[in-house]
Amino acid sequence: MALPLETLKARAAGNALLARFGRDLDLALLIGDGDLDWLVEIERGAVVRVTQGPLIMPKTDLRLRAASETWARFLEPVPPPGYHDLFAMRRYRRIQIEGDIRLMSAYLFYIKQLFALLRPSEATA
Amino acid sequence: MSGAFEPIVGRYLTLQLLGRPHRLYVEEAGQGTPLLCLHTAGADTRQWRGLMNDPEVTRDYRVIAFDMPWHGKSSPPAGWQTEEYRLTAADYSAMTLAVADALELEKPVVIGCSIGGRIALVFAIERPERFRAIIGLQSGATIDPYYELTWLHHPAVHGGEASAAYVSGLMAPTSPDAERWETLWHYMQGGPGIFKGDLYFYRGADGDIRERLAAIDTRRCPLYLLTGEYDYSVSPQDTQAAAERIPGVKFSVMPKLGHFPMSENPALFLSYLKPVLAEIKAGAA
Repeated sequence: MALPLETLKARAAGNALLARFGRDLDLALLIGDGDLDWLVEIERGAVVRVTQGPLIMPKTDLRLRAASETWARFLEPVPPPGYHDLFAMRRYRRIQIEGDIRLMSAYLFYIKQLFALLRPSEATA
Repeated sequence: MSGAFEPIVGRYLTLQLLGRPHRLYVEEAGQGTPLLCLHTAGADTRQWRGLMNDPEVTRDYRVIAFDMPWHGKSSPPAGWQTEEYRLTAADYSAMTLAVADALELEKPVVIGCSIGGRIALVFAIERPERFRAIIGLQSGATIDPYYELTWLHHPAVHGGEASAAYVSGLMAPTSPDAERWETLWHYMQGGPGIFKGDLYFYRGADGDIRERLAAIDTRRCPLYLLTGEYDYSVSPQDTQAAAERIPGVKFSVMPKLGHFPMSENPALFLSYLKPVLAEIKAGAA
């Protein structure tokens, strides 16, 4: 299953955890799902635009890329150990994390929550 | 009274540690065999409240935990403002034994998690005569440095929120929300640079004790290692690798738990721990 990023903006709207941990966040986040790139643009904590690649020289702050099979396991309702968290994937070298690590560290709860929202069990009504 | 007191009692203990006066916060509950509990890096005694509030545990064990200096309600030593906090194995070991002596604990059982699980291995190597049994949670002899520590203590990043977010995924996704977020709150309240300073013990000069594990003699002091399956900081495979070097060790994996078993899901953790405590009690009888 591919990351359902086309639904991210709707899933993120009004999410209380994002509101709490996204204070003053501006972020251009590139997400790589296998060969497919997405650009998620966040302004003042709100997801304002999600663009499906191919992207032509996008300006990005942070880039997270993993194989489609890795994301598929991440998306399972109860993911297996080692696939259940971005840092778990990092420990086992299943995800590439590049860019502004200071910004990522300051907003890591927000970023983790964005990805958690993509699980089917988190689908908005 | 409409509220309800828990059986946990906390007091302040003044003592000399590492040649300097300290004021430590100590909590305890129960009676019987002393069970000395060591919290994880960047956290405090509150992680052990599930044990201290369990009547079956406190019927046979006097459960004791202390906030390490710089942690929880234990202050840093006077002069801290010009120091960088960095934990070492020697200091950690000396402080723990000094607290046990100050409280006049006679051959306690020691249980430690994460960095406490590492120092548990150090005790098994160096001071087995001091303990009735040693229990290491999330114990590994070395660690794979999979993240950068810089941002855990930086003026532009809230260290508490960053530290909590860095460790948040170490818990099992099935652990209850309330307990997970309580565990994270402890991290958010950590002093500036303290989580990072604790990790110095993990990653610094003392960071690899694999070759020393062969010195452990479990006939002198029983050693139990329990590791939650969702931990990727010290994974079950990491503890297994350590256990393979220690004849007589009792190692088990705890399904549906992560790096903070005692606080992320106390009820489930107790179901794994109680048989160990019963076995230790039976062995001592």
